[in-house]
Amino acid sequence: MAAAVRSQVISLYRMMLTESKKFPSYNYSRTYALRRVRDAFRANGALEDPRAVERLVVEGQQTLALIKRQVSIGRMYATQKSVVD
Amino acid sequence: MAARVLQQCVRTLARPSLRLSSGNAAVRAAVAPSAAVHRPLTFAADTRGPRLLLRSRVPSVGVLCRQYGDLPPLTLETIKDRVLYVLKLYDKINPEKLQTTSHFMKDLGLDSLDQVEIIMAMEDEFGFEIPDGEAEKLMSPEEIVQYIADKKDVYE
Repeated sequence: MAAAVRSQVISLYRMMLTESKKFPSYNYSRTYALRRVRDAFRANGALEDPRAVERLVVEGQQTLALIKRQVSIGRMYATQKSVVD
Repeated sequence: MAARVLQQCVRTLARPSLRLSSGNAAVRAAVAPSAAVHRPLTFAADTRGPRLLLRSRVPSVGVLCRQYGDLPPLTLETIKDRVLYVLKLYDKINPEKLQTTSHFMKDLGLDSLDQVEIIMAMEDEFGFEIPDGEAEKLMSPEEIVQYIADKKDVYE
């Protein structure tokens, strides 16, 4: 059971990182999303309580949906690429 | 900027044969399409220059051979070098302690989230997807090199 949750968490982390890389603009979201995902997963990495972990996994999935929506919105209204991009 | 460098190369190569060729109508007609191709590359101030110098036929440059664009072929050595280079760029790994046989979790002290990030960096470097089930088994640079060599059909 713990192994299933663990692999679920790992795949969630992977998908969030993959989606966060797709943000079109450098300064608006991409670096923030990557940093925030990494910090949040690391900070909660030591949790053991299954209910808390499950709640965080659900919240992570909602955040993943949010990131996907924002990526497609950002692509629709793309601005000119800056030097940093 | 690359266009300007190309123009200069063409000019220096076309210049010696400029004296030899006479400006007959056939050559000029043959050059006109190539000048038209080069026109999008020229900037507004530069319109007269390339048209005059491209009078001779450029295909005399070099051997008549076809050149296809592709990446350099992968060998086990190059895969290993690239994998170690990407790992050295990761800030949580000490570059002196990195060996090809060093285990990520036992020797280098990384955790599973770091391993996910490393595998994603490898995916970006080599340009193909590594599925989750196989990604979590790759625990040392040696295994990563073996996996990539299997997937890309690289063998000695």
